[in-house]
Amino acid sequence: MKAGVDVGPTNTDAALLDDDGRVLATVKVPSRPDMPVANVRSALEKLKATDLTQVAVGLRGSATSVTRRRELRRVAVLRISGDSARAVRPLFGWPADLRDAVNAGAVIVDGGGGLERDDWTPLDRAAVSRFAAAMAGTAEAYAVVGLFSPLDAEQEQEAAELIRAEVGDMPIALSADLGSLGLLERENATILDAALSGFAQTVADGLGTLCPGAAVFVTRGDGTLMSLEHMSRHPGLSLGSGPASVLRGAGALTGLEDAVVADVGARRVRVGVLSGGFPEEAVGGARIGGVPVGFRIPGLIKVDRPVDDAELAEAVDRLQPGADRLPLVTVGGGAQAVQQGIHPEHGLAAGAIGAAVSPVGGFYERIVRLPDRAAVAAAMDAVMEEARAVAVLAGADPRQTVIIHADETQLDYLPGPFVKLRARAAGPPSRW
Amino acid sequence: MREITEDLLDDMARGAGILGTGGGGDPYVGKLLAREAIRRHGPVPLYSIDEVPADATVVPISTMGAPTVMLEKLPAGTEELAVLRALEAVIGRPATHIVPIEIGGMNSLIPIAAAAQAGLPLVDGDAMGRAFPEAQMVLPTLMGVRNTPMALADDKGNTLVVDAVSNHWAEKIARAACVRMGCQLSSADTVLRGSQLRDGLVPATLTLAEDLGRAVRLARAAHSSPVGAALAVLDGTELFAGKVVDVERRTTGGFARGTARLESSHGALELSFQNEHLLASRGGRTVATTPDLICVLDTESGEPVTTEALRYGLRVTVIGAPCDPRWRTPEGLELAGPRYFGYDCDYEPLAGRPS
Repeated sequence: MKAGVDVGPTNTDAALLDDDGRVLATVKVPSRPDMPVANVRSALEKLKATDLTQVAVGLRGSATSVTRRRELRRVAVLRISGDSARAVRPLFGWPADLRDAVNAGAVIVDGGGGLERDDWTPLDRAAVSRFAAAMAGTAEAYAVVGLFSPLDAEQEQEAAELIRAEVGDMPIALSADLGSLGLLERENATILDAALSGFAQTVADGLGTLCPGAAVFVTRGDGTLMSLEHMSRHPGLSLGSGPASVLRGAGALTGLEDAVVADVGARRVRVGVLSGGFPEEAVGGARIGGVPVGFRIPGLIKVDRPVDDAELAEAVDRLQPGADRLPLVTVGGGAQAVQQGIHPEHGLAAGAIGAAVSPVGGFYERIVRLPDRAAVAAAMDAVMEEARAVAVLAGADPRQTVIIHADETQLDYLPGPFVKLRARAAGPPSRW
Repeated sequence: MREITEDLLDDMARGAGILGTGGGGDPYVGKLLAREAIRRHGPVPLYSIDEVPADATVVPISTMGAPTVMLEKLPAGTEELAVLRALEAVIGRPATHIVPIEIGGMNSLIPIAAAAQAGLPLVDGDAMGRAFPEAQMVLPTLMGVRNTPMALADDKGNTLVVDAVSNHWAEKIARAACVRMGCQLSSADTVLRGSQLRDGLVPATLTLAEDLGRAVRLARAAHSSPVGAALAVLDGTELFAGKVVDVERRTTGGFARGTARLESSHGALELSFQNEHLLASRGGRTVATTPDLICVLDTESGEPVTTEALRYGLRVTVIGAPCDPRWRTPEGLELAGPRYFGYDCDYEPLAGRPS
């Protein structure tokens, strides 16, 4: 049996499902503020579940920490890019108070790569060690970001070893694990991961001891899951995970792969789209105070309660790919306040159910120059393999991890076949 | 003369995105570069074309290559000065002014950063009045002005000066060098004298970008239509408002080609795009073509929708805006009309407008 838990600001929902995904029971307990682990424990106790093999938890703590500038570690930022990219320094454009809360110091050292092998320059190892030593005592975590590191993570790993040699065991977030190109977004995301590492470790430790015998996972903003170990290294991935789980849950409860979903909360309704079983993502990804961080989060339209029917209908219509093309599913704690849409059984606990039924995910992208179109297939195979590896790293069962989406985009303004290849993989949570 | 200060950059970037007609690269990176340069070196003086002396040496500075790559490999910030110095060494006189080569996408804002670093003023105008993908697609080509010598520089410090037999050849050589030098280069080319600016530039386009960006921002704040505000500033025509119901992308002869189908209760519109939106037709009838501007905006926010971002389900409004009249001449259309981009149709002036 498996359980899903959704820790909301007002209530914590939990659902018990059998191994075939049938909902056996749902419960609701009031949430105590800033005590995510205790809230999960209360909900699981009320669920009275025994023999749990898997627990998946949706948390909103990462977003709360960032919004309130609390429980954030001070981060030393190491960018490996040499002279390239020097025009925009790390943390440039961040809101001043968030930057002040997070920034321990930043440096740009020689190294980093490019699209081709001979674009790579060696890592300035001495500069890394000097920076790490200078930051000792000030920094509580390190963020390491290498130019083109998703293509080759070696220099980031090398730098992490050098930092550990100087300052001992310290949280070090590496950007390559995030898998996507776009230096500033990836750097901002990695800094956020490092800043949230204290909060994440506390939560991971707490959840890890909660259910002996069960594999514990947490939800992500793209509608998939990750292991506690992965979450402790990349807590930023949980931004947007609450709405993502609700969308997945609405799909699971209705059997729909494509739908518009209205999640009726205490104060507002969040309307999003389920597309091919996963949340349709916000264009441009997550932003914090105007800073792009690249994490994939659901695209949502928010409507305040009490609900004005016309306003809600307009929001739903805006998300429709064509007039009335997709069914509307209405879920969430306040679903009975909205007449429109399908109201599935157990819809009040859609977030918890979505967490319980979701797979573990991974994403990878790469830009390649190909001799001809015939080479696309082989290049895509490599990208899909990387996406599978990322999913397995996040806790997916390697034997059952499959590609759920792959696409290619021709790059603008370059002759010849330069293409960006992207793949997403997902698999059931590994049991150990 | 007025000054470009940091607080104007958001509006300029928003407007430049719209004028990018779906391409030109995300102005966000250009905005960050301009902001950082202004913080370091101070505001940039902006002169109207009339204020530039006849003997001035005006240098367009731009980047070429893949915007997607640039999002990873940001500039070092030294390339603009490197290309400027390399060009000055060849022409034997110092630049007195910097100007954008195009008003659309990131190349609208990069010259602001270049001017701040070089300590030079900027000219309010550009050589296209929109964004185009190739180096020879500038008004100076129509005047017989050469785009070479063309100085190119990468982030590593490599520079290259191209001297070519024609503006088309310079484009071909530069594009090949770009691929070998990491897919992203800075360029200084198409040098103009002050006396050539009236014929070689579309005037006041940085101000246009700023006005456009401001109008959209204010409309959004006032909960009125941002698309309507953009139409008014651009003197444009609303071609269609609807939803994207189909997007098809394919590669033909090395060029990315795409079409999108938009539908509403009032019918359908087909959009053809390459790097930029180039052609709009309804029921087989052409309603707008390059070199007129075809801007696709998110109906709700007024934000520009790039060719890469076009996807099923977006609700957009397509606007046609008149290009500079010099593009509508036979020579202008040969350089940047629909047939140059491989479409089997002739230029159609925007409906309801004199050709």
